[in-house]
Amino acid sequence: MAKKIIRDIPLNRVEGDLEIRVELENNRIVDAWSSGTMFRGIENILRGRGALDGLVITPRVCGICSTTHLMAAAKALDQIAAVSVPDNAVRLRNLTLMVEHCQSDVRHSVLMFLPDFAAPIYQAHPLYTEAVKRYAPLQGERCIDVVRQTKTILEIIAILGGQWPHSSFMVPGGVTYVPTMTELNQCRHILQHYRKWYEQTVLGCSLERWQAVRSATDLDAWLAEGASHRESDTGFFLRFAREAGLHALGQRHGCFLSYGSLDLPGDTAIVGAGEDKLLVAAGFVGKDGQPQRFDQAQVKEHVGFSWYTDYPGGRHPFEGETDPQATGAEGKKYSWAKAPRYLDQPAETGPLAERIVGGDPLFCDLLRRDGANLVIRQLARMTRPATLFPAMETWVDEMIARHDQPYYTAVPPLVEGRGFGLIEAARGALGHWVEIKDGKISHYQIVTPTAWNGSPRDSEGVRGPWEEALIGTAIKDIDNPVEAGHVVRSFDACLVCTVHVVGPGRIPVRC
Amino acid sequence: MVTLFWMQCGGCGGDTMSFLNSNSPDLLELFDTLGIRLLWHPSLSTLSPSAQNELIETLIQGEQPLDILVVEGAIIRGPASTGMFDTRNGQPKKDLVATLAGQARHVIAAGTCAAFGGLGTEGHTKATGLQFRKREPGGLLGKDFRSASGMPVINLAGCPCHTEVMAGALSALVSGQTPELDEFNRPLDWYGMTVHQGCTRNEYHEYRVEEWDFAQRGCLFFHMGCHGPLVDGPCNKLLWNGRSSKTRAGVPCFGCTSPDFPMPYPFFETRNIEGVPIELPKGISRAHYLVYKGMAAAAAPDRLKKRETKI
Repeated sequence: MAKKIIRDIPLNRVEGDLEIRVELENNRIVDAWSSGTMFRGIENILRGRGALDGLVITPRVCGICSTTHLMAAAKALDQIAAVSVPDNAVRLRNLTLMVEHCQSDVRHSVLMFLPDFAAPIYQAHPLYTEAVKRYAPLQGERCIDVVRQTKTILEIIAILGGQWPHSSFMVPGGVTYVPTMTELNQCRHILQHYRKWYEQTVLGCSLERWQAVRSATDLDAWLAEGASHRESDTGFFLRFAREAGLHALGQRHGCFLSYGSLDLPGDTAIVGAGEDKLLVAAGFVGKDGQPQRFDQAQVKEHVGFSWYTDYPGGRHPFEGETDPQATGAEGKKYSWAKAPRYLDQPAETGPLAERIVGGDPLFCDLLRRDGANLVIRQLARMTRPATLFPAMETWVDEMIARHDQPYYTAVPPLVEGRGFGLIEAARGALGHWVEIKDGKISHYQIVTPTAWNGSPRDSEGVRGPWEEALIGTAIKDIDNPVEAGHVVRSFDACLVCTVHVVGPGRIPVRC
Repeated sequence: MVTLFWMQCGGCGGDTMSFLNSNSPDLLELFDTLGIRLLWHPSLSTLSPSAQNELIETLIQGEQPLDILVVEGAIIRGPASTGMFDTRNGQPKKDLVATLAGQARHVIAAGTCAAFGGLGTEGHTKATGLQFRKREPGGLLGKDFRSASGMPVINLAGCPCHTEVMAGALSALVSGQTPELDEFNRPLDWYGMTVHQGCTRNEYHEYRVEEWDFAQRGCLFFHMGCHGPLVDGPCNKLLWNGRSSKTRAGVPCFGCTSPDFPMPYPFFETRNIEGVPIELPKGISRAHYLVYKGMAAAAAPDRLKKRETKI
């Protein structure tokens, strides 16, 4: 009979802390439990505070996506105020959110995901020496370059919003600052610099060339086309992953969720996805592969396996509570993360889900050919900035051209009401559900992307997406389970968010 | 080589993200120039779990000398003082922090959460800073704690800690300098001035040309909740990301370098009595301030009253 062992794997190089418990049989994962090991209780801190205070507290949920939480918080308050945000404010908000994504996607890929290729377990890999030269932590050439370049694009957020991370420049009705023409010109220069660098190093080709890659066959041809493609981070990643057989890892779940993101200004040259007037489409793709319209009423959170006071089934975030309960039932409950479900199903969220929901031809084709494995998930993240730059440039240009138009609409004090702010964070679907009573926050629930992806089991005992994705993964060295790290990191785990967001819950993973 | 171990506790990772913004020198040049060897950082290291456990064991035993311990995030003590809201390998992280602090030559609290407890102090998590809980000395390590260098925990407050403050503190400590500290053990070089100093709205403040709403040019102190004149910090001297600051961009200062952060009242309002803020800049006599601001408002030039002067 096969010998079963259970091991706890702490994972580093994720934002925050995550521990994964795996059960192995013949060195293959047969079961997995994802545990957020920290509780920060941010939602409870918010209750009773001033109506606008989520704009200050929630960016502090996460150091790498603080602008993202600010956006979700501001949109929830816009809804409560029933205010129409002026076009220029929509452009400015969108631009800063996209800047944060362009920073996060590249930092995650090169500083957090790719360093695993320089791990000793790959010594026999033909590209190992090259991987060490490129991606050894803080010493590899590409790591050094990424540390030096990714901070530059963040200057745009500082110019428009004061600082990064942790500013609060989005408010109900718009933004706090009217940038000067000079400042907008500076933003344009910074954006061009970063785009050019991204094209030359991460992508290895122009955005236009990349946009012509529309199928799995096109991708193979792109990789074979020239040295700049093969030598870029994207090309190297694909070659290394293919040789290492990583396409076989991180499969086994099939639902994709996107809340949709980036409202189009009323007057813009940018064309959105579908009828929602969004740049990034909203939707849900179930196991049958059929796209469905997204309805926020179908989001529920379960706590059957989370360290909170029990309730049956799932609750919508407007009805949810975050009441930590860490004693008793220890055998069953194992995470500070709650378990969000859509139509009672777990769902993967993030750049790959956005592409599948939006019907992107390349990623839909790769999904058909190879399944939802870790390689296409990571490829979707590395190449997402290529989908954002054109709209970013257009929106800066439109702010310059329409500089005399407003950035803010006055909003009276918020006294009563409830609203939600749903957007796509770098890691996927992020929602803030807010209720105001007597001018104070009476209810605040945050459901983060990592709560979706790193969810523990739900009330029905169904595993979360990366728990499920880990099943079947072969581990060569249990003391250094790099393969499990690949799988979880392909979801770009952000446990600090989960902690906060879910009310409680931070998942540490170290690998 | 100077060894550095970076621990993250109950925080958001924002101090690390801020540190990555370092410029002239950037992070890598800084480590290189100072001869710092990064033993471990949770976001940047690739040590396997077993190698990490071995490293921590050698640090605890003193076999591996530890020159600098940096702690980011609050020390979480809940529930019921167990610390089990924040664990590593099933053990409370707070115990590991205390053990490593006892071995380190210098201990740095990166950010307000590590220094004073920050966000979690009022909630379920019973958070504290390393050597203070808000204004109260003590914290995790006790008010008498001194690291092997003889210094208390160096508190680099801010949410997040400004990257130049972190880089400057590391440079000073590695060079054997002893930074002069304030009553909350914050280095005076950066916390010996108010956030207000250097704000481009200062002329509006001077003549009490005040705003009641967002996206304007006037001063945010009197109605919009700005703490710039009340708290210490270098935001408007160093600027953020080399570019700007919150107050310059129309965002009130929320006082994030203060041991009191987050303050228990709404962030976007100034508590006042008949239009005069309850909290006045340090050391000011209320009566004199009233007279001074009354006269200043009367003397305000039209270009300010009409918001013509750019910021």
